[in-house]
Amino acid sequence: MSGAHVAYRDRGEPTFEGEADYVVVGSGAGGAALASWLARAGASLFVVEAGAWRDPEDYPSSAYGSMRDLMDDWGAQLAMGRAFWPIVQARTVGGTTVINSAICVRTPADVFDRWEKEFGIGRTGGKGRLADRVWRHQDELERELSVEEVPPDARGRSNVLAMKGATALGYDSHYMRRYVKGCAGSGQCLQGCKMLRKQSANVVWMPEILERGGTVLSCAPVRRVLFDGRRAIGVEGRFEHPSSHRLGASFRVRAKKAVVVAASVTHTAVLLAKSGVKSKALGRFFRAHPGTGVFGVYDEYVDQNTGATQGWASTAFRDEPGLKLETLHIPLDLVASRFSGGGTVLMERLARYRHLAMWCHSVRAESVGTVRPGLFGKPVVRYGLDEADMRKFREGMYLVAKTHVAAGAKRVLPGISGLPFELGADEIERIREGPLDPRAYIAILSHLFGGAVMGTSPDRSVTDGSGRVLGYEGLVVADASVIPSVLGVNPQHTIMALARCFAEDLLEG
Amino acid sequence: MPRAPMLWLVRSAMVAFYPRTAALPGLVDTGIDAYLRQFRSETTALMWLGVVLASLLYHLTPLFTVFVPLPAFLLPASLRDRHTARIGDSNLYLVKQAMLVLKLPAALCWAKDPEVRRRFAMAPYPPDPGTWRTS
Repeated sequence: MSGAHVAYRDRGEPTFEGEADYVVVGSGAGGAALASWLARAGASLFVVEAGAWRDPEDYPSSAYGSMRDLMDDWGAQLAMGRAFWPIVQARTVGGTTVINSAICVRTPADVFDRWEKEFGIGRTGGKGRLADRVWRHQDELERELSVEEVPPDARGRSNVLAMKGATALGYDSHYMRRYVKGCAGSGQCLQGCKMLRKQSANVVWMPEILERGGTVLSCAPVRRVLFDGRRAIGVEGRFEHPSSHRLGASFRVRAKKAVVVAASVTHTAVLLAKSGVKSKALGRFFRAHPGTGVFGVYDEYVDQNTGATQGWASTAFRDEPGLKLETLHIPLDLVASRFSGGGTVLMERLARYRHLAMWCHSVRAESVGTVRPGLFGKPVVRYGLDEADMRKFREGMYLVAKTHVAAGAKRVLPGISGLPFELGADEIERIREGPLDPRAYIAILSHLFGGAVMGTSPDRSVTDGSGRVLGYEGLVVADASVIPSVLGVNPQHTIMALARCFAEDLLEG
Repeated sequence: MPRAPMLWLVRSAMVAFYPRTAALPGLVDTGIDAYLRQFRSETTALMWLGVVLASLLYHLTPLFTVFVPLPAFLLPASLRDRHTARIGDSNLYLVKQAMLVLKLPAALCWAKDPEVRRRFAMAPYPPDPGTWRTS
């Protein structure tokens, strides 16, 4: 039995109508992991995705093309606090798995301890500890998605330098394990892997869902979830043209058993709110791993655009001060605007691009924000770091700079307002005196959590430990929106395994 | 050269940020006119509005950077370059953010130019197909 893919339908065409056991909104790490599990069990389902379905031959090459074709809102979505920090998310079939670095990190045990202690989530029905279930799924996912360490010939100079720096300083670090089969080191993770090595959801699971009889609607942003009383019975919206953004025909898809919302942390809570879901905790407890990069300037060519985009990491500082360090090779296209200055001064700075390596940190931040519908129904994220998190943030930059110096960098470029553009190797202590004002830093939020968090108290949570929305029937959330704390590690493995647990729970009723 | 005044203002501000130097081609060498038309038609209205406002800010602030009461497009080249460097290095948050909004699309155009990439030992980008699965 083979299913169907339904792409954009123009205005004037009749409303698309469908019905299945399950309707899954979103095809990223959570939605696709859950939908593939349901499909394997023989369930009929629709996956409804706001973005277009782009295969590797459709992927853009340039950063411009990536922002236009793959990013949500051109990558211009911002978290607003004292500073405006961009939120990086995709809007395409496969979600952010298409544009991320496919980093695979198992959920640390302390995360489950915290969820049990603070949120009452530890056991789910008679199926044992959530931790054991998640780890079992993570074992399976690692086999299914061919997880492997970045191979030596795909590491590139920058990743190797980072390992050299960490080794010289004596802290623990490693080459990453990723959902990448035989990485070719093309340095194109952020634009989608044209080499077909990254095991993103659009490449692995969506074709499988079609083969098993599922239906995929792309270019189909859901406007609202439909209810019959307190029971979710489907979704509706209008197709949107992927390039002109013109609205097309309407669609309405009914769910006989459940609607699963996995539309991303910024969209899930907003969709539920726009659909009239009542919950005191909806849109609250938004959290993130904010991060930033520090460039090292080396005498030799680094050519950070070659090799795995992200290939090295350290979790040695996860507990204290609360950071993850990793490499992140951003293309010249983005470096050219990230550097401060302009005119001939900026061009002189850019002329050294081949000598630069950018490594970054992400902060295990405890600060909390909100995500709510704004004007025209778009998500508005309010989020800023408190002083304790800003201290971690600043210390992370120092640690990255120190690692650069240990690896042989002659100068570092911290990108902090109020400090010089360049610091010599003997000047990096000045980073520790940098301001604690977030406006002085260029940061992004790449890992997002919350907005519809799991728990047992309706005052503090939107869903139970199986992702079921409290007070409603047939409505499940299955993305990072349910995660009630930051993880301190890359979240994709946790999101996918949790979604698989929720799929099991759905099938068992 | 674009005829629409707003497009001209945006173009001149962007070109000032990425001038031709002995080592590197400038934005003016990279097909900026066609790119700007494409960018304006493809980007969001909000993003384009941000770029236009940032360009206006760039052109109207030489008084505060090089202390000359003229718009940036009327400054002599060396003074305009100094204005560009100073406003691009501003520590005022909103100014800094506005210049980032202006520089981002300019940088995307400059850095994808084949000659610029060649100078950094990178192969030219294949075209962005802009296609998707339709059935």
